[in-house]
Amino acid sequence: MNTLWRKAFRDFWQERARTTLVVLAIALGISAFAAVLSSYAILTRELDQGYLATNPASAVLRVDSADDDLVKAILQNPEVSDAEPRRTISGQIKAGPMQWRNLVLFVVQDYGNIRVSKLVPESGAWPPATGEILIERDAFQVARANIGEAVTVKTANGVEQPLVISGSVHDVGQAQARMENIVYGYINLATLAQLGEEPRLNQLNILVARNRFDEAHIRRVVSDVEALIKSRGHEVLRVEIPRPGKHPHSDLTGILLLAMSSFGLFVLVLSGILVINLLTAMMASQVRQIGVMKAIGGTRRAIAGIYFGQALFLGIAAVIVSIPLGIVGSRALCRYMAYFLNFDINSFAVPFWVYLLVALVGIAAPLIAAAYPVWRGTATPVRVALSDFGLSQTNFGASAFDRALARIGGKFSLIALAIRNSFRRRARLVLTLLTLTAGGLFFLAALNVRSSMINTLDHMFGLRKFDLTVGFANPYEFEKIQKAVSNTPGIKRAEGWFTTEGLHGPDRLGIVALPPDTRLLEFDIIEGRKLMPGDTDAIVINTALAGRDPKMRVGESVTLRIGGDEKAWRIVGLAREAFSPTPVGYIPLTGMVNSLRLAFDNPDPNSISVLKTELDRNLEQQGVRARASSTKSESRYGFDQHMLMIYVFLIITSAIVGGVGGLGLMTTMSLNVLERRREMGVMRALGATPRVIWLMIVAEGMVIGLLSWAIAALLAWPISKLVGDSLVQVMFRSGLDFTFEPVGLVIWLLVSISLSALASFLPAWKASRTTVREALAYE
Amino acid sequence: MISLQQVNKTYETPAGKFSALKDIDLEILSGQFVGIVGKSGSGKSTLLNMVAGIDRPSAGSVAVAGTEIQSLSENKLAAWRGRNVGFVFQFFQLLPTLTAAENVMLPMDFSKTIALRERRKRAVSLLERVGVGVQADKLPATLSGGEQQRVAIARALANEPPLVLADEPTGNLDSVTAGAILDLFRDMANKGTTVVIATHEADIARVIDRRIEISDGKLLHQ
Repeated sequence: MNTLWRKAFRDFWQERARTTLVVLAIALGISAFAAVLSSYAILTRELDQGYLATNPASAVLRVDSADDDLVKAILQNPEVSDAEPRRTISGQIKAGPMQWRNLVLFVVQDYGNIRVSKLVPESGAWPPATGEILIERDAFQVARANIGEAVTVKTANGVEQPLVISGSVHDVGQAQARMENIVYGYINLATLAQLGEEPRLNQLNILVARNRFDEAHIRRVVSDVEALIKSRGHEVLRVEIPRPGKHPHSDLTGILLLAMSSFGLFVLVLSGILVINLLTAMMASQVRQIGVMKAIGGTRRAIAGIYFGQALFLGIAAVIVSIPLGIVGSRALCRYMAYFLNFDINSFAVPFWVYLLVALVGIAAPLIAAAYPVWRGTATPVRVALSDFGLSQTNFGASAFDRALARIGGKFSLIALAIRNSFRRRARLVLTLLTLTAGGLFFLAALNVRSSMINTLDHMFGLRKFDLTVGFANPYEFEKIQKAVSNTPGIKRAEGWFTTEGLHGPDRLGIVALPPDTRLLEFDIIEGRKLMPGDTDAIVINTALAGRDPKMRVGESVTLRIGGDEKAWRIVGLAREAFSPTPVGYIPLTGMVNSLRLAFDNPDPNSISVLKTELDRNLEQQGVRARASSTKSESRYGFDQHMLMIYVFLIITSAIVGGVGGLGLMTTMSLNVLERRREMGVMRALGATPRVIWLMIVAEGMVIGLLSWAIAALLAWPISKLVGDSLVQVMFRSGLDFTFEPVGLVIWLLVSISLSALASFLPAWKASRTTVREALAYE
Repeated sequence: MISLQQVNKTYETPAGKFSALKDIDLEILSGQFVGIVGKSGSGKSTLLNMVAGIDRPSAGSVAVAGTEIQSLSENKLAAWRGRNVGFVFQFFQLLPTLTAAENVMLPMDFSKTIALRERRKRAVSLLERVGVGVQADKLPATLSGGEQQRVAIARALANEPPLVLADEPTGNLDSVTAGAILDLFRDMANKGTTVVIATHEADIARVIDRRIEISDGKLLHQ
């Protein structure tokens, strides 16, 4: 190691407390980046691998009935490697006196020979015997039941039947039961018969033989299979081709983690500011040394090499600290995400490219941050550098701003000093404020986004004037249902709707047919008008549908295929639907209904539960079986869970950014103290007690904290709106009804003051302990 | 060895223009030990800086060992200085985080004129030559002023420069130590090195070959 490297290392060692702070701050940024990047690598790999291990169906065909003969015929096609018949049926489940919960039942013919979309037994019995039901492991919380307990199950056309929960399974391909508020159950054909349903299968899970990830190929094979099924006299009701090889949540997870990665990079940029502060101060304190080195033959490049060497030390040290931290963080994040997405992680192995990228970014960031201070510091001409008088001399008082500052403080010299001192090193102040303000902005954004989300959801659910939705398995005349409704006291208003799927070209969309003069749904019309009595071919589209096709505009005509019929519809209105990524068109109801919307006199959960039971009974008396139902609060629960995730993410972000800000302030204060050591010696010589010195420095830190709070308060509104809109846009493709949370300002004020007092405590304590002689002798 | 022709140096100050050097013509031969004597602010340090290429003349030319140094870029000047000039400062200016030996090795690391494995050996030998060999591995803060200045002289000799410049090298030392330091410079000159020192002390006549007096930026006596 030559003397240049030795100098680089020892200078840092001499400033080890400050160096440690900066290393910690950079490490925090790199750790966050490493944690998220590792999680991205692990989760996308494990999610897809775990999903692929189940042999997910290349296509799911809903048919009128599927038997072994049909399966054998399909398997004759060499392009089909496997085909398995199943049935999916919706119903309701009840444990003990609990209210009915929505249930999706999967009927499997042979649990011993599942080859496509495999299930993984978790605990209890396998396979389920007749009269038994297995529950998806994530759905136990929704079912509020345990293995061994008896539950009552009813399907759309069957009877109420007690079943025993005999075990749990893991069904990787299903959306998280807690989020969907649905119970997934698994039974055999005999149990299906016990439930009063016809024991037949009506779904074919197809696995293509080759090019499994080629969607076009899958479509070609499925088209052949479809033709074969039809040629054998069967009806194909629907074809679903999931994204080949990708877990349904793979993209969402990727987007979320990439958003988090960019946050990690942001923290790294902020920690780079600390490097700028540290190296600027270090170079300023070494101006004369730089002059000497130049005088004895050091070129600018050679001298710059010393300081870049120091930045390299910072980067390497930070990477060494942050990689284990990042791995720990990534494991925690992976576990959380795996729990959230209901899948298992078999290996936490981090790919080599992650280490490489983290090391590169971690080492490059301080080097980039060092570029300006080093370039500037080494530019000082030798003569100027050699005649440097030291650091304590700054030109405070030269500008009009300084003179204006000199009028602040009044009789309180300590406050005056604190305010004026904080403005002495303005570039450093600006950089420090950047990190602290960023922390404040994230915190305020977290609170504002949260309250805006609540506001938006309140608004969204406020437009829904119904308290309960009841879905039926079959369409009915509304008059039939009306009787059951009339016999149920406590119902304020009831409307029958028809919800189904439509096709616009190859694209699916939701269709809601409702009374044109509906009083249970208010449209948030942003263009055109709502449906009106007398409308026959009018359609109101939601923002998601309008966003999908630029031709979907008010005044235009659109041809839709609904239930096999094609018809042209006139777009009369565009309705805003926040948090609804599903394209939906609202049309006037004609004829039968398949769901019911109900508003109650007393919409509290207990009353709703009682009324629902009574309504179910009255509907049964009319020969109408409810397939599924959900209350307004149940519908909102899933939204709240998604919102909670964004909120938690923002709060963690603000804590990390605030941490970097605090470390930044600590570095700044320690540099300020170092540079003014002689000045403090003078003050001590003039009679200032150590306590006064201590107070003065803490007050200076608090002035900086207050300044950062003020800037954050000013910027909070636009930034919060931007952050909220961007996040919700990514997740739900919609905007927010923005609302500002004033209490956030008070909380962040207290946090800022506490954080700045805490950050300046140590430098202040050290300064107050320096003896007068030491302080005066400092050069 | 050194040739200054019609050298002028003017600084812009808030109070207006200040002429630090006025129409300086000066020739110094190889191996001479020259003392530039003058009061504080007389221009002697500026003159020394011109010769070292630390500062550039506003007008005129400075040639050292045949090189017109004012035409060199900052980087080339630094490299040139490393090979041709040894500089000794009044306040020693040793780098505080490097040991005495490492301070001496620093110019060798910059210039790379001496093989890497030879540098330490040469640094210790130079330190021994100036009488502080035993302090080779000590940090500057643990050395006395005289010892630090000796280390600074050893550092100036690191690349065997033909020219050594010293700005008030004894200004911060007691008289006994100052005498010993001047003897070191005399010894250097005796071995063929051109030595130029700037000082405000008049009693250096016993060691120097030539005395140049400067006042208000003008040479009074050569």
